[in-house]
Amino acid sequence: MKTKEDFPEINARRPDGLKPEGTPYRVLIVDDSMFVAKQLNQILTSEGYQVVATAGDGLEGYEKYKELFPNVDVVTMDITMPKMDGLTALQKIMEFDKNAKVIMISALGKQDLVKQALVAGAKNYIVKPLDRKKVLERFLSVVSK
Amino acid sequence: MRVEYINPFVESAFNVLKEVLQGDVKRGELYLKSTSIPVMGVAAIVGLAGDVEGRVLFDMDKPTALKVASVMNGEELKVMDELVKATITELANMITAQAVTKLHELGFKFDLTPPAIFTGENMEVSDQDVEALIVPMETAQGKLEINVAIRERG
Ligand SMILES: [Mg+2]
Repeated sequence: MKTKEDFPEINARRPDGLKPEGTPYRVLIVDDSMFVAKQLNQILTSEGYQVVATAGDGLEGYEKYKELFPNVDVVTMDITMPKMDGLTALQKIMEFDKNAKVIMISALGKQDLVKQALVAGAKNYIVKPLDRKKVLERFLSVVSK
Repeated sequence: MRVEYINPFVESAFNVLKEVLQGDVKRGELYLKSTSIPVMGVAAIVGLAGDVEGRVLFDMDKPTALKVASVMNGEELKVMDELVKATITELANMITAQAVTKLHELGFKFDLTPPAIFTGENMEVSDQDVEALIVPMETAQGKLEINVAIRERG
């Protein structure tokens, strides 16, 4: 009798959240909203990404990045947050690790703010409200580079 | 308060609510309220700072807040817990941020501060000498009032 393993599923798609060798991309979520963190967590884990930590403000996000480094692949960074805003945290993370992959996720879509974030080293910028498709597309374009 | 300020809030409230609630949203008639504002039970506040100062208050009753948060989380939420509060707070943040983005494009420069939420019975938020414009919004989940008070610095 043949088992399932004898028929490799050639149509099975590799989830976007897995690296070519099969381990998940590790994500740090920085957002002061528990709602957004939960929403991102659900979207990302459903596609194979692994959320390794969550931080509630920019300062905590920067500290956690240093702590996790090099075992973190992508950071999502909110902008409007208490203690330290996301732009400052982005700059600090980029100073610490110039190869960091940070995706800004903000409800603010002002052109000069987006430009400022990209110049500071952010790899992408997602404007809230979030939806699954939008988040996964941007993530894929960042991790596949 | 300048009328130019209010339209971006009406538009962004309409767009964001429609998107996150995935349903029909109806705008009610705008009206003015002065000084003390009795709130309906759940109030999220976002502060504005820059060329102007002011605040935007999102006001709704508890059943509406629970229903809105349930839709936004894709699960039924029955008690006013931290997740419900965080969801309503983020809704306020998204609507204000989208309005601020539009105002920015029109040449008004100001930013927003992280939102806060208040819940309770017979709660009152009072402002000194601030006249607020109220934008009522009807959704399938209930009525929300967006209360905008902005004044120029100087
Ligand atoms: Mg935020």
